[in-house]
Amino acid sequence: MTNEEIKGAAAEEDQQAQSKKALKKQQKEAEKAAKKAEKQAKLAAEQHGVDEEDFAQDRYGIPPMVQSQDNLDRVLVRVQELTPQKAEQLIWVRARVHTSRAKGKQCFLVLRQQQFNVQGLVAVGDRASKQMVKFAANIPKESIVDVEGVVRKVEQKIESCSQQDVELHIERIFVVSQAEPRLPLQLEDAVRPEGEGDEEGRATVNQDTRLDNRVIDLRTTTSQAVFRLQSGVCQLFRDTLTNKGFVEIQTPKIISAASEGGANVFTVSYFKTSAYLAQSPQLYKQMCICADFDKVFCVGPVFRAEDSNTHRHLTEFVGLDIEMAFNYHYHEVIESITDTMVQIFKGLRDRFQTEIQTVNKQFPSEPFKFLEPTLRLEYTEGVAMLRAAGVEMGDEDDLSTPNEKLLGRLVKEKYDTDFYVLDKYPLAVRPFYTMPDPINPRYSNSYDMFMRGEEILSGAQRVHDAQLLTERAVYHNIDLEKIKGYIDSFRYGAPPHGGGGIGLERVTMLYLGLHNVRQTSMFPRDPKRLTP
Amino acid sequence: MPMYQVKPTSGGDIKIDLPTCMYKLPNVHASRSDFGEHAHQNGEVDPAMQALEARQDEIMRRLYELKAAVEGIAKTVTTPDADLDATTIPQQGSASTVLTGTSDLDSLLGKDPGALRDLVINAHPSRPPLSLLVLHSLLCQRYRVLSTVHVHSSIPAVAPPLLTCLGPRHSHSYARQHFQLGFTLIWKDVPKTQMKFSVQTMCPVEGEGNVARFLFGLLSPGPREAAAATLSDAWVDTALFQLSEGGAKERAAVLRALNAALGRSPWLAGAELSLADIVCACCVRQSGSAPSAPPNVQRWLKSCENLGHFGQAYALMH
Repeated sequence: MTNEEIKGAAAEEDQQAQSKKALKKQQKEAEKAAKKAEKQAKLAAEQHGVDEEDFAQDRYGIPPMVQSQDNLDRVLVRVQELTPQKAEQLIWVRARVHTSRAKGKQCFLVLRQQQFNVQGLVAVGDRASKQMVKFAANIPKESIVDVEGVVRKVEQKIESCSQQDVELHIERIFVVSQAEPRLPLQLEDAVRPEGEGDEEGRATVNQDTRLDNRVIDLRTTTSQAVFRLQSGVCQLFRDTLTNKGFVEIQTPKIISAASEGGANVFTVSYFKTSAYLAQSPQLYKQMCICADFDKVFCVGPVFRAEDSNTHRHLTEFVGLDIEMAFNYHYHEVIESITDTMVQIFKGLRDRFQTEIQTVNKQFPSEPFKFLEPTLRLEYTEGVAMLRAAGVEMGDEDDLSTPNEKLLGRLVKEKYDTDFYVLDKYPLAVRPFYTMPDPINPRYSNSYDMFMRGEEILSGAQRVHDAQLLTERAVYHNIDLEKIKGYIDSFRYGAPPHGGGGIGLERVTMLYLGLHNVRQTSMFPRDPKRLTP
Repeated sequence: MPMYQVKPTSGGDIKIDLPTCMYKLPNVHASRSDFGEHAHQNGEVDPAMQALEARQDEIMRRLYELKAAVEGIAKTVTTPDADLDATTIPQQGSASTVLTGTSDLDSLLGKDPGALRDLVINAHPSRPPLSLLVLHSLLCQRYRVLSTVHVHSSIPAVAPPLLTCLGPRHSHSYARQHFQLGFTLIWKDVPKTQMKFSVQTMCPVEGEGNVARFLFGLLSPGPREAAAATLSDAWVDTALFQLSEGGAKERAAVLRALNAALGRSPWLAGAELSLADIVCACCVRQSGSAPSAPPNVQRWLKSCENLGHFGQAYALMH
């Protein structure tokens, strides 16, 4: 008992001591709080006081969210149009705050609109108050603002901006949409060339972070340039082929049977049964040829259930497909396709030079070289070149990826072209619908096209005779029941035809000399990524 | 056929005292007129007349041949080197190329790779290598050559004649394997004409003169006389460095030297056409000094043209 009492007393004392300490602490804290409150009150009073004096009060701020209340008659000028010709004009601009830097009574803002940017300046003066400068400095990066200002010529070129000869002296600034202060990645880091920031300890952004925050990553000048150029590829592809008399067609993407073998197709549930996602529009292109459309092309998604995590494989990509009937020789098809490619390359060279330069700043690469008309080599020549370089391979072996790369380098060295056609592949390495060579049955009327040593197109003259097609299918041990529909489409007269398909992402990547196809796919799909 | 129908000028019953020392022949006129009448009535052609016609055709044909031959000889007369004449080369070529061509190339360009041997020539469109086009024409007679012209992306556009300077596209150009030699001309932004053949075993050949030497080597295999070869080489250098790149004074000096040399022998390096003649003639024409050239040079230029291989090269200069 006594022991317990003593213990209890001790505990009490302890408690008392503790409470004393706590009391003191509380007192101190109260004092602190009082001081703080006093300070705040003072600050508030000060601010209040100043607010009253702020002559520029209605020249800045955060207006109510745009819910289409008003339809202002205000003209917004594009940042890229801000040139010395506009000097001394008072204009409105809507742009993002790219960076902001306050310096005493001044605040420099870089205003960005897509790949263009201009320097803006808020300085204390008869138009802007101290408070306005402070407000401008505190706008988080990537917020969208409306600013009014006077365009002024500058004496020294502003190297960091795309509009180098002018700056904007801001007189009004309103935040249209505020960004969160913490960005998942910094735009400057995302455009930094690889390896450059290493020494200074600056960050570069890795691929996954970019893809997880694709919306911000796509705002970078590099991404803007890449996807503008990609749009150009599509546009040039359509224009060139339309001029050549091709018809654009749309083909179904949900299909009942696998078009090329059955291995790498996605199965989707289709009401009470299942269906597949189209691996290529091949069958439908060919059916259009049999239906007398003569020359067709289509642009659309293509699905491949290949579990390969390489720099050049995607599970969904945009296919640019061509199919055409020819008169006498399938080289007519090769000529059409290669000429289309050359027109695309020329168009990009002549119309997208700034985009190419922008991408090159971050990812330096040699300019894309090509010949017109396109160089055509035969498979045996390719094999001979590889053998001369010390590669051991059989006459009818398929080219491995490293050998393709090596051959690309050899061809580049001799002919100085990044684009060429390899013709007359061995029949054994091509699909069953490939037309065999008329003279040497071990070879076939098929071709691959390469850009920077990587295959971008695989095509051939197709067998357009149901009888021969059946024979070839049987030879390849293909279940005739499964491809009955395909073979049947050739029973009612089919013109000789050929074609091929290219991947938009791959072409963009290889043209720009990039190293990952995910950089040229807006929202890439690969075995490990389904979002965003 | 009224031309062959002649009425008898004398009656058939005239008695002539014939000498006995000659052969006796039946009376042509008497028997013929009857026979001819008969044939006309039946609408048939007299076989004898047919034979006569055939003989006339034959004579005409031989006359044409003779005319062609004389024209050929006329050319040879103005072209001193009869061995390399345009009329003799194709015959030699067509007879021997198919059999010996490939083996020749084996010894010249290394073992048969089992694929087309492609010579790649890069040239700037502002300075077309005329001498190489002449050599291309000569190569085409010796071998089955697949000729292709490309434009490199470093050149925005070229004049249409530059695209057809190797002649029309071969009708069998789709089968690259059927050719012995590839001649790929690429118009490209290069400081000097350049040739590439085997990238592994051979460095690029730089300069029009050196490429020309390489190509000429494919035409005339076997050892050459050292002195003549050196002389020829010297002229090639003179042509390219002083005629093409030199000033007016240098050009005039070269033309005088050419005139003197051509006064001594029909061709620049002796009695036979050599590379020197091809390159010099092209450079004289390209430098625009042909019209004002001295007489020996004029005569020699004419001889060169008569060979029939300069046409495509000269066509580029207009």
